[in-house]
Amino acid sequence: MQQKNYSQKKINRMKKELKVIGKPIPKQDANIRVTGKAIYGHDIVLPGMLYGAILRTEHPSAIIESIDVSEAKKFPGVICVITADDVDVNNIGYKRDHPILKKGEANCTRDEIAAVAAETKEIALQALKLIKVKYKIRKGVYDAFDALKESAPQINKFISGKFENKNIAEKFHYEHGNLEEEKKKSQHIVTRRFTLPRMTHACMATSNITASYNNVDRKLLLYSSTQVPFLYQRDMAHALKMNPSDIRVIQPVIGGGFGSKLDMHPFEPICALLSIKTGKPVQIIYSREEEFIASPIRQPMVIDLTAGVDKHGNFTFREINIVKDNGAYTSWGATTPFVIMQAFSSLYKLKACRFNAMAVYTNNVFAGSFRGYGNPQATFALERVIDLLADELGMDKAEIRLLNANEKGEVTGQGLLYDTCGHKECLETVISKSHYGKKSLANKDSRHKRGIGLASMLHVGGGAKIYRSDGCGTTLKIDPYGYCTIITGSNEIGQGSETVLAMIASEELGIDLKKIKVINTDTDVKPWDVGVHASRTSFVAGNSLLGAIKILKEKLNRKTAELLKTSHPDFEYSENKIISLKSNESIALDKVVREMHFSQPNELAIASYFYEPSSKFQDKDFKGNVSGTYAFASQAITVEVDTYTGNVKVLDVYVAQDVGKVLNPLLLGGQIEGGILQGVGYALTEELLMHEGRILNPNFHNYKMLTASDTPEIHFYPIETNDKEGPYGAKGVGEAPLIPTAAAIANAVCNALDLEFLELPITPEKVLFAIAEKKRTDKMHSL
Amino acid sequence: MNFEIINPSSTEELLGTIKSLQKEKFRFGAGCTDLLMELKKNPEENLTVINLSQVKDASFTGIKKTTNQFRLGALFTAHKIVINEELKINFPVLHQSALTLASTQIRQVATVGGNLCTASPSGDIACALVALEAQCEILGTTGKTRTVPVTDFFMGPRKTVLKSNEVLYSISVPVNNKLSKNILSGFIKVGTRRSMECSVVSIAYHIQTDEHGNIINAGVAIGASAPTIRFAKEACEFLIGKKLKHISHKEKEKFAEKVLSYAAPITDIRATAWYRKEVLFNISKSIFE
Ligand SMILES: Cc1cc2nc3c(=O)[nH]c(=O)nc-3n(C[C@H](O)[C@H](O)[C@H](O)COP(=O)(O)OP(=O)(O)OC[C@H]3O[C@@H](n4cnc5c(N)ncnc54)[C@H](O)[C@@H]3O)c2cc1C
Repeated sequence: MQQKNYSQKKINRMKKELKVIGKPIPKQDANIRVTGKAIYGHDIVLPGMLYGAILRTEHPSAIIESIDVSEAKKFPGVICVITADDVDVNNIGYKRDHPILKKGEANCTRDEIAAVAAETKEIALQALKLIKVKYKIRKGVYDAFDALKESAPQINKFISGKFENKNIAEKFHYEHGNLEEEKKKSQHIVTRRFTLPRMTHACMATSNITASYNNVDRKLLLYSSTQVPFLYQRDMAHALKMNPSDIRVIQPVIGGGFGSKLDMHPFEPICALLSIKTGKPVQIIYSREEEFIASPIRQPMVIDLTAGVDKHGNFTFREINIVKDNGAYTSWGATTPFVIMQAFSSLYKLKACRFNAMAVYTNNVFAGSFRGYGNPQATFALERVIDLLADELGMDKAEIRLLNANEKGEVTGQGLLYDTCGHKECLETVISKSHYGKKSLANKDSRHKRGIGLASMLHVGGGAKIYRSDGCGTTLKIDPYGYCTIITGSNEIGQGSETVLAMIASEELGIDLKKIKVINTDTDVKPWDVGVHASRTSFVAGNSLLGAIKILKEKLNRKTAELLKTSHPDFEYSENKIISLKSNESIALDKVVREMHFSQPNELAIASYFYEPSSKFQDKDFKGNVSGTYAFASQAITVEVDTYTGNVKVLDVYVAQDVGKVLNPLLLGGQIEGGILQGVGYALTEELLMHEGRILNPNFHNYKMLTASDTPEIHFYPIETNDKEGPYGAKGVGEAPLIPTAAAIANAVCNALDLEFLELPITPEKVLFAIAEKKRTDKMHSL
Repeated sequence: MNFEIINPSSTEELLGTIKSLQKEKFRFGAGCTDLLMELKKNPEENLTVINLSQVKDASFTGIKKTTNQFRLGALFTAHKIVINEELKINFPVLHQSALTLASTQIRQVATVGGNLCTASPSGDIACALVALEAQCEILGTTGKTRTVPVTDFFMGPRKTVLKSNEVLYSISVPVNNKLSKNILSGFIKVGTRRSMECSVVSIAYHIQTDEHGNIINAGVAIGASAPTIRFAKEACEFLIGKKLKHISHKEKEKFAEKVLSYAAPITDIRATAWYRKEVLFNISKSIFE
């Protein structure tokens, strides 16, 4: 019965033909971005503005014996120099274990020792060189396993010591099912250790902030490219011991987020402090090198995974132990196990799971959050082991995945409820489109070996309730000229949310897209939203907007009924008109609004709505339905390995993704292509190399981010499962495209060479080394 | 990064400028794609940059073919090499080396002279020019020129034979042997990315045969494998007289070994010496596959 109701609803929805939603509408801000008219943080110049610069430690681990800023202060053009001694502030970070300016000791190569505000950027940089710091160099700890040893020093002195080891920053434990029993039932068990690298976001726009403190009314204005303005406002207020509402956050156009701007970083309160001290606006903009050194990274981690399968190929259990290198301070990145455990507990049907993860302090650069939030790491380990289990069983790698694929209606061991689930369809699509297993991939010649790999992923698709509210507010207004303004709590970091929101309003209100404005950059104006993360914006902000539209339409309908002298409330909104479905009479929307405003009872065409997803907070055992819905995707990837050079060329990427419903194929395609290229980089080339706490490749020359010419053929098949919670049935799509890519590529490379790779990135050197090793051992065996 | 800049617009003005700056610190800038990066990293005080890009004389910017050679002005850009059909047909090695340089945008301004004068072991066009046994024409402030073979042009990493009163004027590539009915010519660059990549190892080869397919002339150079680009003389000599189509597996390996004997690679963050050697051996072999 339930089922029937649902499909009836679906039919009804389909009956109404969508005019805007689902159409390839270009990004609303494309014009200003490509013509250079967009105002990024780097373009802001305020009257009397000073330029800030930060002195970082020379040594990743050292006692700071003294800091002498006297010469710098005397330097002409320098207005202000601050060190930890000059400021009264709180620590920042998810665990409040991170001093904004460091005192007494340096624990990481990024550590901020002093900051300068000067009349020009050049003067500020020169003044940094005049600051004399006496260090006593210490032996640092640069490996998480070393940090866990009894003999290791305590690296971060600000933690409560809640855990058994002094260097554990955060811990997670989760389990479901009877692991020991499932072990017994397993026909084959595979154990492997996987090692994941540091990857950096490398946003096109380097980190930037402009702070302007008004010392008359004691209010702080920040032009900041945060992804989470309201949490940021609160964090900034806590750091500076201010009232959050005295801080106004305005977001200029943001040149790349990808999770890097989820945390507030020390340079931001430092800039605010320089402005507070000088009473003048101050701007800090990172150089590219600084961006590589001092912006966050994807968590490096070591994953020990043991997994079993019964004789029929059903997955039995997974046991996971993860040690994450937290770096010297704790960011939101430490909470990635929330997502990691979902992949391990709930991607493919699974009877039992035991999961342990810990984040361990070291003197390395600290991690942050990054698109996928731990999921690319987890998926790499999991999907690699699935291939190995299939090999052990002698089962086809596609078949074992299809057999275990998640299903609609499933409630996983962790309590995730799959109301809609396109997992199987995603798998079937990429298997058939890539001809997986059908035609074996012919090698071009003995030098170039081809292979194919499969991987799936599960990710939250309707927000994630990790904060008290995962909601979003909207205020919607129509003006007397028929233009619509959407004031949304959500924000735009390049992903296209403004466009999608404008499309929804255009669809529902029949207003031309060019008459719709989205206001989303000012915390003084916009209503609450938790921020851009967890692929949530279209889903949560979209639903919030739909709620506001519904309320506003009720008001408009009432007025229209009055004006058209009809008692029938059935109206259609189209071409800037409101049309009676009964009589076919119509009236211009702007006229209705004018009548609302200017005639009795003088009402505004405004509505507000707050949407809170139906998801739940997980309990202390991490169980519960944490998201409004879940997204699934599968990728099949073919590669060609050059055995002379070790280079892996990604040939074709077949992607099927359960997106719920395609809201805009152009924007969706952008997310898919961008995500995949990021995934290819994660798989093959990108790694921030470190030695004893220092970054060796802080530039694009040696940090091998891929370019347009490295883009493989991408074949994308959206799977529409029409989620009943999502706007028009849509689910979150932003993170998914990158999540299974590295796993599928790794499986393809292993397939091509009949070799195992347990570490990313799979660089040419690693490939060639593995080939040479194999030749050597093969030779030994044949002797 | 602060410097004075002077923009001579003719060869004459250029020579005058060089003469007038003999007592001062100055650098040439052509496309400035190397120079700016270098000055950003190591800023120099009181520096003057002589901007060559406004010198419009064809002898500096153009290409000229004579019976014996193709003469490329030092300011001839990588882009111009790429789009020149005659160069593409006669010297695939040069065409391919220019095509792998950086990206379309950089190739518009990067010059062949800059690639040589930067004297980087991983210079791509320079590597091709070494394989082609090109000649460098150097112009002094007196207006006199001297010619040195490109192999002698490099003194070490970032060092050339240019004196402070000299500028690189042109590069000449000898035309292919008249008898030659066939050339095997190309440039193999190994790196991680397909563009915006600096060679981890490279090999340039230009092999000519007579009408019977016998090798009569061979030029092979390796990049990023030693402090300077090297001409693999013994490997070239090894090929002379052999039938190009019938080089055996053993001979390929012998050739590759000879190429490898010119390599003295280092381990750096881009690759280990082991990798560079392994790959150089493999791609040397691959020339005949
Ligand atoms: C992003 C990027 C990617 C790159 N990729 C590659 C690549 O793939 N392969 C490669 O080989 N190179 C690469 N390069 C390096 C550079 O682009 C090339 O070496 C280019 O050919 C240099 O030419 P230019 O005209 O820009 O030289 P400039 O920077 O103008 O000059 C380079 C040096 O030569 C001197 N010089 C220039 N012209 C003369 C002259 N006529 N006489 C005397 N001295 C002179 C200058 O004083 C300077 O020391 C890359 C550079 C960048 C920035």
